Amino acid sequence: MFVAIEDVSFSYPNTQAPALDRFTLDIKKGEVISILGRSGSGKSTILRLLAGLERPKNGRLVIQDETLFDDKTFLQPEKRGIGMVFQDYALFPHMTVGANIMFGLSGMKKADKKRRMREMLELVELEEYEKRYPHQLSGGQQQRVAIARAIAPNPHLILLDEPFSNLDAELQGKIRKDLREILKKANITSIFVTHDEKDAHILADRIVKLKDGKMDFVGRPCDMLDTFRQEAIAESEEVLKSKPVVQV
Amino acid sequence: MQRRLANFNIWTVGAVVIIMMLFLPNLTIVTGLFTPSNDNWEHMKEFVLQQFVINSLILTLATATATILIGLSLAWLIAQYDFPFRRFLKWALILPLSIPPFIGAYTYHGILNFTGAVQTTLRDGFGMELDPAYFDIMNLPGAIFIYTMFLYPYVYTITQVYLSEQSASLIESTRLLGKGPWRTFFQVVLPISRISIIAGASLVVLEVLNDYGVVKYYGIQTFTTAIFQSWFGLGDLDTSIKLAASLMGFVIIILLIEKLLRGRRQYSYFSTKVRPLQLISLSGWKGFAAAGYGMLILSLGFFIPVIQLIDWTVLTFGTIPMEEFMRYVQNSVFVAALSATLIVVFALIVGNFARMVQGKYTKLLPKLTVLGYSIPGAVIAVAVVTAFVALDGYLAPLYLAIGLETTLVLSVSIVLLLSAYIIRFFAIGYNSIETGYDKIGTNFRDASRLLGAGPTKTFFKVDVPMMKGAIISGFILVFIDVLKEIPLTLILRPFNFDTLSTKAFQYASDEKIMEASQASLLIVGISALAIVIFYKILEKEMD
Amino acid sequence: MKKLLSFLLVLGTLVVLAACGSSTTEESETSGDEASGNEVNLYTARHYDVDDELYKKFEEETGIKVNVIKGEADELLERIKREGDATQADLFLTADAGRLHRAKEDGILQSVSSDVLDEQVPANFQDEDQVWYGLTKRARVIMYDKEKVDPSELSTYEALAEDEWAGRVLIRSSENIYNQSLFASLIELNGEEEAKEWAAGMVDNFARDPEGGDRDQAKAIAAGVGDVAIMNTYYYGQMLNSEDPEEVKVAESLGVFFPNQDTTGTHVNVSGAGVVKSSKNKENAIQLLEFLSAPEAQETFASANYEYPVNESVEPTELLQSWGDFKEQDISMSALGENNAQAILLFNEVGWK
Repeated sequence: MFVAIEDVSFSYPNTQAPALDRFTLDIKKGEVISILGRSGSGKSTILRLLAGLERPKNGRLVIQDETLFDDKTFLQPEKRGIGMVFQDYALFPHMTVGANIMFGLSGMKKADKKRRMREMLELVELEEYEKRYPHQLSGGQQQRVAIARAIAPNPHLILLDEPFSNLDAELQGKIRKDLREILKKANITSIFVTHDEKDAHILADRIVKLKDGKMDFVGRPCDMLDTFRQEAIAESEEVLKSKPVVQV
Repeated sequence: MQRRLANFNIWTVGAVVIIMMLFLPNLTIVTGLFTPSNDNWEHMKEFVLQQFVINSLILTLATATATILIGLSLAWLIAQYDFPFRRFLKWALILPLSIPPFIGAYTYHGILNFTGAVQTTLRDGFGMELDPAYFDIMNLPGAIFIYTMFLYPYVYTITQVYLSEQSASLIESTRLLGKGPWRTFFQVVLPISRISIIAGASLVVLEVLNDYGVVKYYGIQTFTTAIFQSWFGLGDLDTSIKLAASLMGFVIIILLIEKLLRGRRQYSYFSTKVRPLQLISLSGWKGFAAAGYGMLILSLGFFIPVIQLIDWTVLTFGTIPMEEFMRYVQNSVFVAALSATLIVVFALIVGNFARMVQGKYTKLLPKLTVLGYSIPGAVIAVAVVTAFVALDGYLAPLYLAIGLETTLVLSVSIVLLLSAYIIRFFAIGYNSIETGYDKIGTNFRDASRLLGAGPTKTFFKVDVPMMKGAIISGFILVFIDVLKEIPLTLILRPFNFDTLSTKAFQYASDEKIMEASQASLLIVGISALAIVIFYKILEKEMD
Repeated sequence: MKKLLSFLLVLGTLVVLAACGSSTTEESETSGDEASGNEVNLYTARHYDVDDELYKKFEEETGIKVNVIKGEADELLERIKREGDATQADLFLTADAGRLHRAKEDGILQSVSSDVLDEQVPANFQDEDQVWYGLTKRARVIMYDKEKVDPSELSTYEALAEDEWAGRVLIRSSENIYNQSLFASLIELNGEEEAKEWAAGMVDNFARDPEGGDRDQAKAIAAGVGDVAIMNTYYYGQMLNSEDPEEVKVAESLGVFFPNQDTTGTHVNVSGAGVVKSSKNKENAIQLLEFLSAPEAQETFASANYEYPVNESVEPTELLQSWGDFKEQDISMSALGENNAQAILLFNEVGWK
């Protein structure tokens, strides 16, 4: 397995209910995973735990045979080789687009950094924007810069937190397609979190559904449709049964 | 606890060390709470304390209210409207901060008393002999006026920056919903600026609580009076420390209230785009009224006292020795710049720590460091001397080993004074830095960490450049405050070390207010210059 | 550019810190060297410009460098106390006998004997154990409105508390040390009971709540707020010689009255100094004391601030002489210190703000 999440639990300070409860998931290389769930279901927590922004209570996290976390280990975020695209992109406002993308490149010659940065800009089709500042870009452009920045250092894994929530509907459709293309082109393992089933169906190889910090469903998008149909039928039957009672 | 482990590194260690350093001297004062009360304490309680507490409450509450009204209304005008002199007023309205309240108090009394410009002109120019009580400023309302005029910029600056940068969409949508300017002000501007108002007003309150110069001269008996009466008058430092500790308790309550009122605020840049508020142009009489209001406040808080100081300087020029003034300027600027730099650096480290930790109680830890700001300087001085003498005691073998003949090294050096400044003014710098951290939030830091930058690289490449505004404003505010500072400088300075403020105080304490004007004017001039430079840098940043 | 800026900021701090660290050690090293006999460290609560000139003159004459920290009396006292045996202070100088007494009580001063000092400072202006020596004296007198008050109506401090002065008396707040010392002297002379009655009577007679300094009381007379004020003579002298013609006008409309001439005498206080117990430069400190009480220094030391010299071989200035001779309170200066705390408690009890 490329990424292994084993038995991971986590709760936020000053709260009772665990945000994540004994969660386990294996991910293959190159796979695109979508985590679906309502807000508060613990879906963003998984990303933050993988990234090293939070420390799990117990369990194990492994990427490509390297342990990120277990009883004895806690690897700092900067050592994990994981890229992340934040919900609000978090592009450094004091740096140009080019500087943002080059920020994560280290141990390279300056010229190599520049080359890599231009490659990335080409990938996200923003070649002319190298010298611009983030606030001079549209929402969609900002998002593409954020993706380019996350991919540039060649991470093992890229995490995307609600990548489409700040975009208007028309843009969402286009970007979704672009994103899938970019991810597949770069052959990067990725996990993205969303509350929108449509996103998940179009983008993901596999969908994980979370409810109250526990895994509710895992499988291919088409499997999920079946489960949903059954659930929906069950729900409507219940409604039908209860209807007369309501009327009385 | 878990989260802190996740971020455990050199920065955490540094922050904890700094917090302890700042807090330990205050501990001497806190322990005062638990010493048994003696006859003097009982006497104070029986005869004076009640009145003193009432006076203090009136003074702080009225000053807080007045500074909020003036500071917020000016901030709102500048942030929302365009009118004549707006660009000038925008920065000039900070200038009153450059006048130490005690000098403002002396100066206003000088203008208004029997031999002052106002009464003299009325008497000699118009033959009017008005009841001198009309011109009496040496009372509670007078003191409130003085504090308000010279402290409102704390509320003004913080609120104005917030309104200009953060409120555009809220205010514009209110306008689109058809609300007039007054309803917009009361129903939207006031509530959304709550956090910055409280931040500014709490600085004002702390400043009023620890000030002694104004109330002493005006003969108003406040809680601080009680502290000094038991120390200077009764020679009972224990009781005065006990009183100071009670004051500290009161301040802790204020800080907690502030925290509660701030609540679960989210005021980070939601997007990387900061959209400035579109200015509404005020034309005709409205424009002049707005400009007039700004000019009035600026005149009361700056021009009038400065003109009086200039007048006195001309009057007394050559009557006092001035050869050494250049050195006083150097000394003043040196200690002010150095302590401001240190405070900003420490505040950055502690602020970074504060946003990393999550625990309810650990989060409060950095707040402890601002306690020093609430205590009258002279009491801090005692705490700091005690701490340093003890420190020198520990280091004594080392001093002897390197061949020094004395065992008091740090306690007679400038380090003593600088440490005292840091303990006292950390709150001012920290306030700015904390707001800066609040504004950038944690996403940028997380993003940087995930891109492979360690905490240190993240700090220098991401946090610091993004907070340049907060860093500069923190630096300037501390710089000005140290320049104006008096009791600590007076008591903790090394031998033969005079500053502009000790010089001004030397004359003023002797009722030679005219002779004090030259040093005062230099303090005002340097502070004003600092404000102008600060503003120019910020303006450049914005472009 | 921005990275550079922030880097420079931090670098700058470190450099300055290092420089500051090294410069302070240098300073203390040089002061350590000089401790062998060429300096005297003075903690003083008197801060007139003329003092500095005298210290400079002392340096020129003796080659002993005078290092000065100027501050408020009680704070300096506390600092010396906290510094303990290691303190660098050699001489403590302050402008109130009460404070000198407190320093003695706190055990931070030592007794010194010197024939020169005995000759220059009269016995009643020395501490009885020769722990401190007076250097200048100031009288606390009654100033009156020449137009409204005939000096014959005035007699004593005590009389000002009587009904005929209701609403006419001006005096500053009880926080002020000069008032505390005056009250302490009355406690000493008349007993606590009577003194308290006096204070209560004064409060009843106040023309207004106490505010401002001594000069402000004089101005309030001119403004017609009250008719008489209790203030120190030197403030009157300062006003007469003010750069502000308005202040001169005010001063000229006032008369000086030395109270209690037929009874206990006018209240006087001293500024004086004592050698610190753990002084490392005791001889130098004594030498400075001798210098300051010697006739040459006394003339400037006292006259520049319109005070009376303690050295009887020196005449007060012409201005002071023009106010006439007066009889001084005949009490030990230490009494001012002994009764100081009592004075404050009573002030609080009678509501003298």
